[in-house]
Amino acid sequence: MPPAVFLQNPIRASRRHSHQPTPFSTLQHPRGIFSLSLRERVGVRAARSTPRSSVHGPNTCPIFWKTIPSPLLALLLGALSLPALAEPPPFATGILPILTKAGCNTGGCHGAATGQGGFRLSLLGYDPDEDYLRITREHAGRRIDPDRPEESLFLRKPARQLDHEGGRRLPADSEEYRIVRDWIARGAPRGPADLRVEAIEVQPNDLLLPGKGQTAPLRVTARLSNGQVQDVTRLALYTSNDDAVADVSKQGVITSAGPGLTSIMIRYSGQVSAARIAIPYSGPRPTRFLGSDHFIDTHIGAELQRLHLEPSAPSSTATFLRRVSLDLIGRLPSPDEVRAFQQAGDSPERRRQWIDALLERPEWADYWTLQLADLLLLGGKGSNDTAIRRYHAWLRDQVASHTPLNQLVRSLIIAQGNIREVGPANFLTLANDPRDLSEHVGRMFLGTRVACARCHTHPSDRWTQEDYHRFAAYFARVGRSGDVIQVRQRGEVDHPKTGQPMEPKPLGASRPQSANSADNEPAADRRLELADWLTSGENPLFARSLVNRVWKHCFGRGLVEPVDDLRPTNPATHPALLDALARDFAAHRFDLHHLLRTITTSETYQLGSTATPSNRLDDRLFSHAYVRELPAPVFLDAVVQVTGVPHRFEGQPEDLHAVQLVGPQVPSVSLDVLGRCQREGPCDTPGQGGGGLARTLHLIQGATLQDKLSGGIVDRLIATQASDAAIVAELYLSALTRPAEPEETTEWTSLLGTAADRRAAVQDLLWALLNSREFGFNH
Amino acid sequence: MDTEPHPPPTRRCDGVSRRDFLHLGALAPLGLSLAGALRLRAQSAPNTARAQACILIWLDGGPSHLDTFDLKPDAPSEVRSPFKDIATSIPGLRICEHLPRTAPLMRHVALIRSVTHELGNHDTGTRFLLTGHRPTPALDYPSLGSVVARLRTSDSPMPPYIAIPNDAVGGDSNAARSGYLPGAYSAFSIGKDPSKVQDLHPPPGITFERNEHRRLMLAKMDRFSREVEEGPATRNRDAFYEQAYRLIGSAEAKNAFALGQESGAVRERYGSSRIGSGCLLARRLVEAGSRFVTVVDSGWDTHQQIARELPDSRFPGSGKLPSLDRAYSALIDDLRQRGLLDSTLVVLMGEFGRTPKLNALGGRDHWPRAGFACLAGGGVQGGRVIGATNPFGEFPVDRPVTPPDLAFTLLQLLGIDPSRELTTPDGRPMKLLSEGSFIHEVA
Repeated sequence: MPPAVFLQNPIRASRRHSHQPTPFSTLQHPRGIFSLSLRERVGVRAARSTPRSSVHGPNTCPIFWKTIPSPLLALLLGALSLPALAEPPPFATGILPILTKAGCNTGGCHGAATGQGGFRLSLLGYDPDEDYLRITREHAGRRIDPDRPEESLFLRKPARQLDHEGGRRLPADSEEYRIVRDWIARGAPRGPADLRVEAIEVQPNDLLLPGKGQTAPLRVTARLSNGQVQDVTRLALYTSNDDAVADVSKQGVITSAGPGLTSIMIRYSGQVSAARIAIPYSGPRPTRFLGSDHFIDTHIGAELQRLHLEPSAPSSTATFLRRVSLDLIGRLPSPDEVRAFQQAGDSPERRRQWIDALLERPEWADYWTLQLADLLLLGGKGSNDTAIRRYHAWLRDQVASHTPLNQLVRSLIIAQGNIREVGPANFLTLANDPRDLSEHVGRMFLGTRVACARCHTHPSDRWTQEDYHRFAAYFARVGRSGDVIQVRQRGEVDHPKTGQPMEPKPLGASRPQSANSADNEPAADRRLELADWLTSGENPLFARSLVNRVWKHCFGRGLVEPVDDLRPTNPATHPALLDALARDFAAHRFDLHHLLRTITTSETYQLGSTATPSNRLDDRLFSHAYVRELPAPVFLDAVVQVTGVPHRFEGQPEDLHAVQLVGPQVPSVSLDVLGRCQREGPCDTPGQGGGGLARTLHLIQGATLQDKLSGGIVDRLIATQASDAAIVAELYLSALTRPAEPEETTEWTSLLGTAADRRAAVQDLLWALLNSREFGFNH
Repeated sequence: MDTEPHPPPTRRCDGVSRRDFLHLGALAPLGLSLAGALRLRAQSAPNTARAQACILIWLDGGPSHLDTFDLKPDAPSEVRSPFKDIATSIPGLRICEHLPRTAPLMRHVALIRSVTHELGNHDTGTRFLLTGHRPTPALDYPSLGSVVARLRTSDSPMPPYIAIPNDAVGGDSNAARSGYLPGAYSAFSIGKDPSKVQDLHPPPGITFERNEHRRLMLAKMDRFSREVEEGPATRNRDAFYEQAYRLIGSAEAKNAFALGQESGAVRERYGSSRIGSGCLLARRLVEAGSRFVTVVDSGWDTHQQIARELPDSRFPGSGKLPSLDRAYSALIDDLRQRGLLDSTLVVLMGEFGRTPKLNALGGRDHWPRAGFACLAGGGVQGGRVIGATNPFGEFPVDRPVTPPDLAFTLLQLLGIDPSRELTTPDGRPMKLLSEGSFIHEVA
């Protein structure tokens, strides 16, 4: 006879994680979920102390709790300890949060898919109905005993009056124990069936602490569906997103640890929120301001002031030309271009003209086609060459003709037809399962990881299983028959628990009015409704996720990191700037040109990368430009550009650039070892140090560089009998976009002058330049 | 005692400050390199652990415990493996019939049948197993290989941490990497073909002297350039050049990669599969002085057709199990015959086990609640079975072993105190492991 737990279908979790289309979910299980390990004890105390007076700097936001008269505060904090004659607390909002806070329903304990010790709860209490039944009804109700509440298994276990593997979770002298006991004594009522927490609010939600070791309490209130507002500070769960900056106690008291910016994630009853915490650096308030009235500089400059970070000096002409050219078109500026720019003189206006000129170049379209192709994982599966080429050609057309990005995405979402003929239809071949497709859409275009909610309420976002499956239902009727993507007459996504087909609904929004027709079916093609909602200027996530990605491209770090994880509990370093950029992007027809021009013309973007003593440690407030390794195809193209020797890709035209390749199915050992995006999964966060030892060995001894040291520029310089100084000048300008400094010129001209084999010496100098630190980084 | 004072934040994690580094870089032409300096440091801290190196055979995708080392022949048909069980050299221990070469070697193996955790995604599960920490967005923890590379320094020119074919495992490109440690401690990925490791030798026509001349030019050029601000990315890059030149400069080290020097008989013994060549190369690499070699064998994410795919795949005997059986048994035997088993810890595991119930496609899905790990050599007492799952292989009923326990045990066997601290780039001291304890039954 199998044990009971097996009969209850322990295989529930079976295929859930099996068809994740993408391996991006590494960070989906933030530490908070499992932070209550078995070994930890929950020190729950009946803490009713009024918060200590806060210590905050001159620029902090008003702190809400300071404005509350303390008697009222005491009353609010006391709301948990209901007088005996009051209504017993409802299960969902009064009892379940106690279990969650005590860590009973984490994934490592009773929240596991098979439960623990024969007792199962929903993960972090996402399913109050089922939890209520299990606590009060399972095993013929033997877990609770209203006549002798203290004898209830449900209390004796967590109070450790009986052996409990999870340790003492509810000490018998705690307030929480008393609440649960009284609830049992009064018959363990469920309370109103539809009562739930609608929203939580944290105060303060933006806080500056002036130095290390300062503390400040958070206060969390919950709004229930019956309109009631409760103080839930003691029962909310707190997680610091970076405890090197600020730590938070189980009671919600923040302690500053070191300078920087972070946020505290707050969770309660399926609702989430965050508080942003800033600790200034130790130096004085900066004396240099970002001078322009560009809105990017206003936002960035204000934070630099607030955190005492001096901005670095503006970039030199050469650095600017190199950086903006690499970022916008993926190529180095040619020596002639650099010379022409230098001769005309540097000025903000000239820089702007240079940016405008870059945006009009065909290489711009090549490079941004590559950016989008990497995002869309174009050709990652590589099954049908013709189709992939068609898809790539379509994408480049869209980019080159300045199709607004929302229109481009719309075309992808609603595409149908033969994938060999209709480029965008290939997007729908990313996955066969509507759920997988919707996860791709969420990640790519909403910067949101919805996958958690496939099996349970997302632990650090607001999505429920219903949200997830209703979102996925938009793709329920997309089918593939051979090479043809088509819309079918039927097809549903069922809720995994109820088995009911789900009516489609956008994430975090209600269905558009027009959809509420008689049969509640949006249209012949459900995807039209999705596309309308997704790409509308009103969608808060679409524009934000795209500008955040483009920002990361230009700065090496997103305003939100990771870029596919925009959620309320992972706020941007500069939330107002992200919103302003998103609004501006939407207001300008989702025009990529406009967005890039906006970013690259800012003083912030044009700052130098040399750190000042005060901003050396900053890695997220954009006080200076962060150096970035050149992406694999850009590096390879730069090598070709400098050496003048083309790189041949198998079966491709001779002069094709690496950034123009359709995808990773074009074989290239060079690009593989340099670390190109393979498009099997997201390449949002390239591994640090890209490629490591294998890449380095290849650069030192591999064919990619070695084959390009003959012919091209070396032969030309030798043939034209250029002087040693001219050779050095030309190679430096070509590889590093700057003239050689006098000491460099002296060193290398003397080397060339004394070389037995002049040609070999030029080759070696070129080899060293291409291996140099300066060449390999965008700085 | 195996601890060292934490360097202050301005110092590199290896205790060499930037100034020292530049200084050493400047001295490199005179023959005193960073490597040399590290070597001096290493010599001052002798390590008495028996295990000098670790070979991790990583079964990527999550190997089914129920069809390999934890069969449940008495379970109902929806749970029971399609395979029969066979006796091993441990009385009473039976394993899968498709592991016939491994069965007699089980007396050298400590089999843990109660590995358990709760992270059912490839990426999160892999990270948990390979770092000993639950993944968190706040901090990237270093993989065990990187930790070993960092703390078991040696005077060998071999890269300390090597991945065959590469360190992209579990769909998480960072799980096997160096985390908050400098990138120099990430694995050297040798590439697709273990018998042809690329770029170890100068290109045709370039003499050793010219290569060396170029190296000096490069060092000079980087010193001239002040354009690029020093940071984690540039330090990684510099360290890789340092490492690359150590390797290039040692004929002996390069020789270790030459699989072709093994006889046909030996290669046949390991098998021609990727895992076979991988295990053979791993043996050569630890023999030459590498500290941690990961052999990644992909394809264990068996959502369907276990009965056919695991033993046969393309043709009978071509599946995952026969090639694993051949490679694993050859490795243990070979190490033993060369007297290396005692100093080489061999670990066989994956990110999780698989669902007790066979699914509709005859496969099994992800199941982190129960899984297995095999430890051998390096001071491990073989012939032991640790822990047990319930009659359906759903969860441990005896001696649960968590990923931190495994990590703890692995580090300790390699002579690294798991409670010691390392420093993050921003100067924060971090314990190697925050939980877990030694699995005392293995030693």
